Amino acid sequence: MKNSELYKVSKRVYKEAILHAQLQAAGSNQQRFLERIQKDRVARSQNIIFKFMAAVYIASLVFLPVISIFQIYLNFGSNPEWITFAGSLSFSIFFIFQLVILIVFALMLSWGIMSGGPYEWVHTLPFNRNHIQKIGLFTFARSINIQLIVMSLVLPIGVTTAVSLAAGLYLGIGKIFLISIVSIIISVLNTIFNLAVLVILGRKLAIVMEEYDFNSKRANFVRISTMVIYLITSMLVVITIQYGIEKLPILFQISPLTAGSTSIMNIVLSFIAIPFSLGYLMTIFLVDISMIPSLVIVGSVTGFLLYILLVYLVTKKALKTLRNISSPDIKRFDPKRKKTVVDDIKIKSTTPTRAYMKRDISIITRETQQIMILIMPIMIPVYAAILGFTGAFTVVLGNTGLTDLYIVLMFFIVMNSFILSVSLTNIETGGETITASLPINPREQVKAKLPYFFSIIIVAILVAQIFLVSSPIFYPSLYLTLAFLPVFPLIGISSLLFKILLFGKLKNKFAVEEIRVKYKIYKYILGFVFVACLMALFLYTAYVGYWAIFTAEAIVSVIVFFSFNYMFPKAKWKVKYIF
Amino acid sequence: MSVKSEVMVKVDNLVKSFGNVVAVNGLSFEVKPGEIFGLLGPNGAGKTTTVKILLGLIEEDSGEIEVFGLDPSKEEVKVKDRIGYVSEDPLIYRSMTPRMLFNFISSIRKLDEKETTEKLKYYFESFEAVEYYDKLIATLSRGNKQKMQVIASLLHEPDLLIADEPLTGLDAKSAKVLKEILELHTERGGSVILSTHILEVAEEVCDRIAIMDKGKLVAIGTLEELSVMANKAGADLEDIFLKLTNQDESITHIVKNLRKMLGNNKK
Repeated sequence: MKNSELYKVSKRVYKEAILHAQLQAAGSNQQRFLERIQKDRVARSQNIIFKFMAAVYIASLVFLPVISIFQIYLNFGSNPEWITFAGSLSFSIFFIFQLVILIVFALMLSWGIMSGGPYEWVHTLPFNRNHIQKIGLFTFARSINIQLIVMSLVLPIGVTTAVSLAAGLYLGIGKIFLISIVSIIISVLNTIFNLAVLVILGRKLAIVMEEYDFNSKRANFVRISTMVIYLITSMLVVITIQYGIEKLPILFQISPLTAGSTSIMNIVLSFIAIPFSLGYLMTIFLVDISMIPSLVIVGSVTGFLLYILLVYLVTKKALKTLRNISSPDIKRFDPKRKKTVVDDIKIKSTTPTRAYMKRDISIITRETQQIMILIMPIMIPVYAAILGFTGAFTVVLGNTGLTDLYIVLMFFIVMNSFILSVSLTNIETGGETITASLPINPREQVKAKLPYFFSIIIVAILVAQIFLVSSPIFYPSLYLTLAFLPVFPLIGISSLLFKILLFGKLKNKFAVEEIRVKYKIYKYILGFVFVACLMALFLYTAYVGYWAIFTAEAIVSVIVFFSFNYMFPKAKWKVKYIF
Repeated sequence: MSVKSEVMVKVDNLVKSFGNVVAVNGLSFEVKPGEIFGLLGPNGAGKTTTVKILLGLIEEDSGEIEVFGLDPSKEEVKVKDRIGYVSEDPLIYRSMTPRMLFNFISSIRKLDEKETTEKLKYYFESFEAVEYYDKLIATLSRGNKQKMQVIASLLHEPDLLIADEPLTGLDAKSAKVLKEILELHTERGGSVILSTHILEVAEEVCDRIAIMDKGKLVAIGTLEELSVMANKAGADLEDIFLKLTNQDESITHIVKNLRKMLGNNKK
């Protein structure tokens, strides 16, 4: 069979692998996930979105070497030891981030491929062992094709362009060509290394996820950690880009160490294969080699040779892993199941509201996407505060310490309230008929969601406040936040009630889940606009004065209280059974 | 124990459409206390839609429905409090263990802890499911999930049990236990609406059977009454069902073609 035909077959295996990985990631909520991908086109294309996101992140990191190259040529004469260090450091950060981004965005899918599961069906078809191994390799290549192309091209293109612009006339075509060749070699080696690491880690993760019950604490921990790392990495990349653009030129200009210390540091670091040797080698070719101490050159070359050895070993292991995963002889994992002895079948009842809270928590903590409910609202304002702290916002408005940064923070609070409302009500839309058949008073369901608005949003804004400690707007912001404390849950609860009004109005009651899904997108937009307008009202009162804030809080509290009781009245019945 | 109502469920001229598809079209029937009422029909006959309307999960377009003399769309909570429901797919919280699930159900239904614990022990032992009490529901087999669903529907001793293919996935012993539970339930004055495709089950346990096809009621009565309607005296329910839903000729045609095709490809 021709390779092109096998490549076509690998498309089907690749799709199977995506579903396999997504189902594993969904954990206990696989049914909900399957329902969603049936209805939602975006959910089906999640892997493509992830591919492009990773590619964009990898490509955008190229600013690090580009700025470094400009700074190297601008400042080299002043302090060559320090410039070598700063240049190498920038390149090393670039290589490390490339690896981290590739792993973070591709690992979830890679483990689906690495589990061997998607190949089981292929074994039943008339393919020989060699064919199936090739299908395995093609499937893996398909999973990260865009990232690999971007990763191998971005450094050579970035370096060649930057060198040509920064020192084209000074260096001449021969030197630029040499630098381009070096950057291509380094880029290719780096891509192979990253790919091999991804294969090995993917297999390790597959073992963790499939050796144990897929709902084990360990598997859940992996899912949640992966999601948290996604978020942190995404934020780190953006923060690095922003900080890099601002601070990198300063790093090249100011040397905090003595020439001797810098020299020793350069020698030591240049011997370290990962991640410094590549950075030093690249920097050596960029600058005048005669100004670099010979020990640093020896160190860089030795480190680079060690790196090549490491690439060889890691690649060998990765290829063996890739061949094995598509082999029918691959060790399948029998979930370790303990025989349990249950001797205390006992019912522990609690109030319906607490029962719903416990149920919500058990769902939220076991689904990767649901865990975002708890993480996102805290991280978003923190992220906003970090960005704001760089000094972009400081304009004071009105008499209550309202600043433009605070308005931006409040915009994120609006986003949080909206995300929380949608996510918390979506818990009810899982189709679990066991709940549908229970005599549920929606009031209890909604009451179980309220603590999230009283805790998460307030924690988020208080954590964001910490990042403003050394800022001149810290105290005004803190006082305003204290005055605004009732606003956060009010905004959240209003958002929840409005969403239920739009999606859950039935003939005789309001349902928490989304029942009336017609014009869904418009309703979501309307819901967001409603919360944003409410927040704008509060921000206006903050502009006027504290008395206006407190008055508005009191009025909105009364409206929310009565709306809640109108939509979800207390139950007044006593059931009489036949039995 | 005394039966307070003469009719548990009363459905009169029920109509429900989804877009252009009429799922239930002019359906009428009654379920009396102490009877097992079978709802039979091919796929898409409208059985599950009817069951969901009775539970107040979806609203009817027109017609009258009374469950315990109440309108389920208006008094959904009161109705559900007296109903046990076993759905076709055991969609129960996969992220919970049975322990968490039954604590949840008991809390929502406000059941007595001591009494419910006793019942729970009895059901878990009867269905030989004790060892799964602390396992995550996601890791249970189809049959064990079904057992959890059945136990969940019986725990509060409902007046009316609505069961949509309750025997699916159950092993022979558990299926027998469940049939006995259904009998006991009706002996005590409770009622059962059993929606099923398995004609042997309906034949074995149902007191009266309603046959639905394309949203309409085709026939209703005891097995003997149905056989008279189908002009098939002494026939089993399968023959009666195929005759009343006009599928008997179609089946003969399919079998003829199948024989023809397979006969031409002898190995």
